[in-house]
Amino acid sequence: MHASMAETAQPSTSTRPFLCGDALGVNSSGRATLIGGRCADCGTETFPRVPVCASCMSENIRPQPMPHEGTLYAFSVVHVAAKKWRKPMRIGYVDLKNGARVFTHLEGADLAIGDDVEVDVGTVGDDEEGPIVSFVFKKVKR
Amino acid sequence: MKGVSVIGVGMIPFGKYPDTNITDLGWPAVKAAIKDAGLDARRIQAVYSGTARGGAMVGQRIMGRLGLAGLPIINVENACSSSSSAMAQGVMAVASGAYDVVLVIGVEKLTKFGGGTLPLDEDDWEVRLGLTMPALYAMRAQRYMHDYGVSLKDVAGVSVKNRKNGVLNPDAQMRKEVTVDEVLASRMIADPFTLLQCCPTGDGAAAIILASNAVAKQLSSNPIEVRASHLTSGRFMSGFRDMTSPEITVRGARETFEESGLGPEDIDVAEVHDAFSIAELIYYEAFGFCPRGEGVALLNSGATSIGGRIPINPSGGLLAKGHPVGATGAAQVVEIVRQLRGQAGARQVEGAKVGMTHATGGGISGFDHGACSIHIFQR
Repeated sequence: MHASMAETAQPSTSTRPFLCGDALGVNSSGRATLIGGRCADCGTETFPRVPVCASCMSENIRPQPMPHEGTLYAFSVVHVAAKKWRKPMRIGYVDLKNGARVFTHLEGADLAIGDDVEVDVGTVGDDEEGPIVSFVFKKVKR
Repeated sequence: MKGVSVIGVGMIPFGKYPDTNITDLGWPAVKAAIKDAGLDARRIQAVYSGTARGGAMVGQRIMGRLGLAGLPIINVENACSSSSSAMAQGVMAVASGAYDVVLVIGVEKLTKFGGGTLPLDEDDWEVRLGLTMPALYAMRAQRYMHDYGVSLKDVAGVSVKNRKNGVLNPDAQMRKEVTVDEVLASRMIADPFTLLQCCPTGDGAAAIILASNAVAKQLSSNPIEVRASHLTSGRFMSGFRDMTSPEITVRGARETFEESGLGPEDIDVAEVHDAFSIAELIYYEAFGFCPRGEGVALLNSGATSIGGRIPINPSGGLLAKGHPVGATGAAQVVEIVRQLRGQAGARQVEGAKVGMTHATGGGISGFDHGACSIHIFQR
């Protein structure tokens, strides 16, 4: 997984950064990976990556690829929000297998609490600069 | 530490005042509190003024308008807990002996934003990605309904109860009863919340005069004693959080009860932070008015209605009285003081001796809420 990180790139259709900045990496085959942080001193993994560890105050935080899959803890289908978001806007919290919780947009109309979901790249809104692209989670196809 | 009492309260009816600036929303509430206390305004030694979105120096603007500036004025921002946090600072200042008489203000003008959901700080990670307050509470509701097998109709019952109370409160923004069917048929905001399960956008102001118990005895014939004054912040958690049981309020309640030597069974009436229907059910449980998962049963039993065992939000709460965010905590205190004095008119909780207020808020990543302030009062 670490080797693929070197190949991360912004979406090919546009030079516009992701809404989530460098918290999302996409390799040459289109595989999306969330990049969080790992405290090199105490091992705590968080998403997103922040400059100081909330467990031990260490500033020795390294980029850390996050597990691709997690469990949908809760979600809502939102109809009233700022104009830029595509609506209805599906948003939720996903608990990753390493313990990090991720607030995310969701894709798919058949979601349920407890679903296994996986990360992907998706368009979540539109503004004067064009589509707003970020990470999204969707149901794992088994 | 000195004992502290409330000797005066005042507020303006919550509502929409698009043509009135925040200064002119605030001073009538202050003047009403001074009049209610029968106080010589020169006795006020310091002012603690809370607003979330009102901008800088709001306390000075209001006191200047009344010709009462020229004393320490502290402006407090703590999101939906702004004026309840100001209250905690005022209580601490009097309890410490630094002052004998202080004024607490809560004021907000949300109509200036032109409607829609409460604007949040885009510096925040989750807000930047699209989180809104209705969506946050909606996720709590979804998880609660999932974990405890309750229906949307059950949750909507909170709106029905509080709108019924609001009819009885001349200071409430929403003064019309609604049925469960009307609640469920109103416009969808964030599933499962329809419009009538969300607090309205509005403006308002409330003010409180605090005095040391010794001075209160000289100045007031009906002081209401502050039995507990508690303020805390949420704990940051980057991983799992149980969204059906907010740690900030659970811990805040426990600490408040410890501080006062009281328990949930001692509370006769309470105003809790029902920004959305689900919140009131979650707070019944957080305060121990009922066990986990039994909020709907408590609501449906009538225990939390006026006339029940533990009436909650007799003012109509945030859902009916309204939620001009920075004014909410102070307005809750106004309601509880009126209840304990027996001045609550048609919504009076008979025989209420001990009352509680709870204001919590601030939507920031990794926290249940940013701030939570709880007060207990006794006549």
